[in-house]
Amino acid sequence: MIHFVLLISRQGKVRLTKWYSPYTQKERTKVIRELSGLILNRGPKLCNFVEWRGYKVVYKRYASLYFCMCIDQDDNELEILEIIHHFVEILDRYFGSVCELDLIFNFHKAYYILDELLIAGELQESSKKTVARLIAAQDSLVEAAKEQASSISNMIAQATK
Amino acid sequence: MGSQGGFGQSKEFLDLIKSIGECRSKAEEDRIVLREIETLKTRLSSPNTPKFKLKEYLIRLLYVEMLGHDASFGYIHAVKMTHDENLLLKRTGYLAVTLFLNEDHDLIILIVNTIQKDLKSDNYLVVSAALNAVCRLINEETIPAVLPQVVELLGHQKEAVRKKAVMALHRFYQRAPGSVSHLISNFRKRLCDNDPGVMGAALCPLFDLITIDADAYKDLVISFVNILKQVAERRLPKSYDYHQMPAPFIQIKLLKILALLGSGDKKASEQMYTILGDIMRKCDSTSNIGNAILYECICCVSSLHPNPKLLEAAADAISKFLKSDSHNLRYLGIDALSRLIKISPEIAEQHQLAVIDCLEDPDDTLKRKTFELLYKMTKSSNVEVIVDRMIQYMISISDNHYKTEIASRCVELAEQFAPSNQWFIQAMNKVFEHAGDLVNAKVAHNLMRLIAEGFGEDDDAADTQLRSSAVESYLQIMGEPKLPSAFLQVICWVLGEYGTADGKYSASYITGKLCDVAEAHLADDTVKAYAITALMKIYSFEIAAGRAVDVLPECQSLIEEMLASHSTDLQQRAYELQAILNLDSHAVKKIMPMDSTCDDIEIDKSLSFLNGYVQQAVENGAQPYIPESERSGMSNISNFKSQEDHESSTHALRFEAYELPKPVLSQNVPPILASSTELVPVPEPSYVADILQPAISAPSASDAGSSELRLRLDGVQRKWGKPTYSSPTPSTSSNDTVKIQNEATQRDSVGMSNSKTRDVSYDSRKQQVEISPEKQKLAASLFGGVSKSDGRQPSSSQKISKPQNPTSDKSRAAKAAAPDTASVKTSQPPPDLLDLSEPSVSSSAPSVDPFKQFEGLLDLKQDPTPVSAGGVGSTEASDFMSLFTDMSLNVPTDGVLDPMPNVINGNGLGGITAADHSVQQLNKGPNLKQALEKDARVRQMGVTPSGQNPSLFKDLLG
Repeated sequence: MIHFVLLISRQGKVRLTKWYSPYTQKERTKVIRELSGLILNRGPKLCNFVEWRGYKVVYKRYASLYFCMCIDQDDNELEILEIIHHFVEILDRYFGSVCELDLIFNFHKAYYILDELLIAGELQESSKKTVARLIAAQDSLVEAAKEQASSISNMIAQATK
Repeated sequence: MGSQGGFGQSKEFLDLIKSIGECRSKAEEDRIVLREIETLKTRLSSPNTPKFKLKEYLIRLLYVEMLGHDASFGYIHAVKMTHDENLLLKRTGYLAVTLFLNEDHDLIILIVNTIQKDLKSDNYLVVSAALNAVCRLINEETIPAVLPQVVELLGHQKEAVRKKAVMALHRFYQRAPGSVSHLISNFRKRLCDNDPGVMGAALCPLFDLITIDADAYKDLVISFVNILKQVAERRLPKSYDYHQMPAPFIQIKLLKILALLGSGDKKASEQMYTILGDIMRKCDSTSNIGNAILYECICCVSSLHPNPKLLEAAADAISKFLKSDSHNLRYLGIDALSRLIKISPEIAEQHQLAVIDCLEDPDDTLKRKTFELLYKMTKSSNVEVIVDRMIQYMISISDNHYKTEIASRCVELAEQFAPSNQWFIQAMNKVFEHAGDLVNAKVAHNLMRLIAEGFGEDDDAADTQLRSSAVESYLQIMGEPKLPSAFLQVICWVLGEYGTADGKYSASYITGKLCDVAEAHLADDTVKAYAITALMKIYSFEIAAGRAVDVLPECQSLIEEMLASHSTDLQQRAYELQAILNLDSHAVKKIMPMDSTCDDIEIDKSLSFLNGYVQQAVENGAQPYIPESERSGMSNISNFKSQEDHESSTHALRFEAYELPKPVLSQNVPPILASSTELVPVPEPSYVADILQPAISAPSASDAGSSELRLRLDGVQRKWGKPTYSSPTPSTSSNDTVKIQNEATQRDSVGMSNSKTRDVSYDSRKQQVEISPEKQKLAASLFGGVSKSDGRQPSSSQKISKPQNPTSDKSRAAKAAAPDTASVKTSQPPPDLLDLSEPSVSSSAPSVDPFKQFEGLLDLKQDPTPVSAGGVGSTEASDFMSLFTDMSLNVPTDGVLDPMPNVINGNGLGGITAADHSVQQLNKGPNLKQALEKDARVRQMGVTPSGQNPSLFKDLLG
């Protein structure tokens, strides 16, 4: 099971956090501090895995961003590494060559995508296409809702003129 | 774009992010965030805020909380937003609550109603959003509220909803297995779902269920095998392919399940052999995901009923992993090896050099994994080397969590396989010296018991020798500063029991040392208590032996100090010591018998020896004793349970004194101290508590007796000489050192590789002549000494590795060449960026520093270039290059993996990498354009240009 997903920049700034096991705000800050110290200082050619408090943290660096996932002792590290890559590929497809800035400004969209990929700490969908389709459906619906809302507010605005 | 920025956000939000990105210090960031929090507080609570604005504020609040600040004031707004009719807002609301709230938060109760409603919605997107929230927020108490709807959704027409419903049910099962136990059959049903996504999701709960009870699912073996077969034959839709592998994530999950089902079940295992063999053959070992499947296959094979063919395939795969250049693969190789050696211990020997390489690797993760492997393959022949290595590593690290683990492993191994007393004591000393406060207190007491009981055989001489070597080493070590408390306790106890036993040291010498310890650790009552008890033992042994006791002046002052101690425990011990000093030798012999720690003491728990006394008292008109349980829980039947608790607690240690009878007793009985020990059993359950609060164990006059009781009753099984895992060598049954010798010869006849178990040094010296490297020696000692045939093997493998070198050189050359060409190609983008960046860089040059500090800290080579357009370009280019070299690494690495066609590979490598690059180049084309467009747009918006953090704009996928 994945306990949490963490995106941190090379400067140690948090870009996205998703917790699948309960952690208090205090614990979260501590975890992030501990892990960024551990992971950002690792050399480039070492393992992509770190043992940490009886768990394993799998991380991968993409440009300036570190994607980390914390898993149980008996999980398959290489699989998690590929889940991370899978996630990045989906992000890439969605944003069109995704960069860190996309994730900074649109972190909530990254959350929506993550929610379609992982649920309750497990991989729920391994088809890139399905995830993309679901997100697109949500987006189009949201667009529709937006238009509706704006037209309603226009009507109200006109009516109250 | 209007008020909207290029990323669909308002200017305000962009500014916030920009200013936080440009912060020079944490304090500045905090100031900005606090200001933002104030703004959000007023705006969120103002009734006039339009709804779509609210949504943005909520997202800003999420951002604030992500930065580690408290945003709890806005939680209620997130909850409110989930009630909204508008899907856009509802979705944001759900996102916010799932990120803000934990399942035990008070506000959950306000959401349950909305969730219930939304689960019934016609719009499947609303249902999905609600199900996402269900997985995160529903706790044990609220499960019943949503359970019926979730179950209904299992049959929803949209596969996305079915999938999430399955996962939600799985979550319920994890939270409260009882609440959904009647619904478990649904998971089986979902296995036959038309949609592979739903089927894949159903594997997650099934995996959990099978982990708990494999037997109930044996009927599914055929189904799982069939599914796996279909997946491997690419029957699933193309969209499930990942890097040319058919649905790898589903395959891995299935393999995990099969491993559980086939474990220890020959019939089930046999059904899986074919498909496993197929998958292992088909696996593409050049891609990460292929290796992930391969690794899972090895795990599966190692847990199934052994099959020689599969084991061979697994061993092959492992050797590929271990020979790889990639740390990840070597890590997995080591892990796989440790799984497989349980079944076929001999395979470790072929990989000894690789294992030692991993052990000496600077990568901590790899090193720890290797220690895990060594731990599993420890035998009496290699225990010395392994434990030595572990201790060395233990001393070198500062991570307490791992230190504890490795320390207790050292202790365990040393206890099981120790070749000699001397070595055992020394190893223990090192462990305790460096990690004494981290290891479980039980371990310390185990050590005391081992010293007290010796090897448990009738070999008194060996026991005595063990004790005196312990005493000797402790006397040496105890002068050192900063010894952990647990270790000092052991030292005091051993010195008290055996310090004067062999007559080598005089009582005054030992007592002097003990006083030093007590004085050096004034703050530590436990150590002082141990020290004073040890003093008491030594004095009483002296008295019992009829020698005159001269109490050293420092001892005297120590005792006096203790008599006035704040700790009643220390006081009592001191008084008891004083009392003993005034007794004659006959009485002392009775209360403090020499070397009696191992004698059994019968405990009369019913205190029947007092019957006469009680009888007499009752006859004299005293109140009869009413058991406490009857006194307290008289009236209530509901107290039944608590009564039982009392029952058990009467067996446990009682902290408070018995009410009245106690003073009477102690007045009457003082001289018969020996029998009073029987009153103070230190029973099993309270063992640990006892250690933590030795104050409680004090009341007994004879501490020797009571500590003896601890040793007897702690319920720890004897571990000495017992093997952890059964290895086919007979050596593991060895119970003492003498036997090991015999065993060595025995093993010789069995035909195992090592001829001299004990003479490792001799063995390795011989190898040194053959193949000089240090490693060889280590390998020899680790792997039980390489026999001649084995000795040749590594040398031949070395020979093989020599011709390998040129090829790997070649590959390196190819590697070097490839990025060069790549960099030529990729260096095109930087000029483009440059063109774009020049104006903005110059315009915003004064404000651009924020990341420079970081850059300077992190990356020195980037520092010297001043913030200029040229600098931007060059860093950009170098980063690109490094990225490319990273990417291209995978290919040549895996090429080297193949041991056989080395030369061919070497030749082919350049071609492969070149092809690879051209493919990437093709992919890169449009991406770069997009990236540049994005870059341009961002600059228009006035976000800091890339001078400080060039990679901010960089395409993550490279």
